[in-house]
Amino acid sequence: GVCFSDLVGVTFFRLHERPEEEPHILLECDSGVLDAIQKHLKLYKIRRKVNIAPCLDLSLWAVVPGERAGDITSSFAKCADQAVILTPDPRTEVMGWRLITKKGANLSEIIPGSHIGNIQDYHRHRYKQGIPEGVKDLPPGVALPLESNLAYMNGISFTKGCYIGQELTARTHHVGVIRKRLLPVHFSAPLPEDGIPEGAEILTESGKSAGKFRAGGGEVGIALLRLANINEPLCLNIAGNKVKLTARIPEWWPKPTSK
Amino acid sequence: GSWCPAPLCRGRALQRIPPGAACAVGRPPRWASSFSQSGPTASDPSEGQVFLSESCVKRLLEITEGSEFLRLQVEGGGCSGFQYKFSLDTVINPDDRQGQRGGARVVVDVDSLAFVKGSMVDFSQELIRSSFQVVSNPQVEKGCSCGTSFSVKF
Repeated sequence: GVCFSDLVGVTFFRLHERPEEEPHILLECDSGVLDAIQKHLKLYKIRRKVNIAPCLDLSLWAVVPGERAGDITSSFAKCADQAVILTPDPRTEVMGWRLITKKGANLSEIIPGSHIGNIQDYHRHRYKQGIPEGVKDLPPGVALPLESNLAYMNGISFTKGCYIGQELTARTHHVGVIRKRLLPVHFSAPLPEDGIPEGAEILTESGKSAGKFRAGGGEVGIALLRLANINEPLCLNIAGNKVKLTARIPEWWPKPTSK
Repeated sequence: GSWCPAPLCRGRALQRIPPGAACAVGRPPRWASSFSQSGPTASDPSEGQVFLSESCVKRLLEITEGSEFLRLQVEGGGCSGFQYKFSLDTVINPDDRQGQRGGARVVVDVDSLAFVKGSMVDFSQELIRSSFQVVSNPQVEKGCSCGTSFSVKF
């Protein structure tokens, strides 16, 4: 994961294998910002000799191991050359692998024993793990890199030097306290029919503000919550109805070191 | 001729061109835009101009040899999104615009000129460093404290 000043959560894949080769990089982004990203890159390109173009002939897949997958990485090695990219998801192990193929490629040849799943199951998996992706989860200009857990997902370099927002990001990371983070939440039934709007206020039992809902599907989602409140029972008010929810810390977050 | 790297030009060895043959191979330079300190003289004034301070002129006369000139470019990068890059160069390209004051020459390509038109190039000597700087850029929204990076108003 990477962030541009407004856009958070764009992933880079390097195609060229050695530093001497001409750099050839694939960039994965939400299809809704395809134009915005190209405009953004071209704005800062100025005179650099860089070609920026959408890869309409490629398909992007997430390869998520099922419960009984065991160690499938050994079978990857044999078929990897049929894929354009097959690499562990750079964000976290729980997201499995990222696979990029030519459109129309036969996936069961590339990943034997795999089957194509439902996109809604992919999103559920993400929300259960608290992994934001795309502009719905990370609204441009609203989502902040550290609160979005980008530092936990290898999305921020603290050694690369100047970029827009670098000073604030570095200072907060090293010295500041991050009081709110995007966390996975689980709703108890019954759920409102029309879903839960982005920005809906989440409250503690005593009515204090604990954060805001961001996005989700069904009984799972992610919310920006005050870390001080996540172990309490929480709720939302939707059209006069109270909806209860609980939050949890994802297992893949780094464990705090005891001092 | 002999190959000789110009001091401020990163990674680019430049051939010294004998005086009198100041322009590189290819088409003759476009002298269409001429920056000047007082009043516009450019034949295409919408492209903009850059002004040179006295200290800039003085410094350039001290350090340039032969056909060398100061090149100003704008690149993406830095803490505010864009950054200025100064170098010494001897090669003029068709999309360059150039101007002079008191015998000192500054060249800006047309894409970079869009970001710096109306600015002044100064040579500032401070305790922390001496360097060429772009000052009073009317298009800058905010600049960084070291003067290298900036963002623009749109």
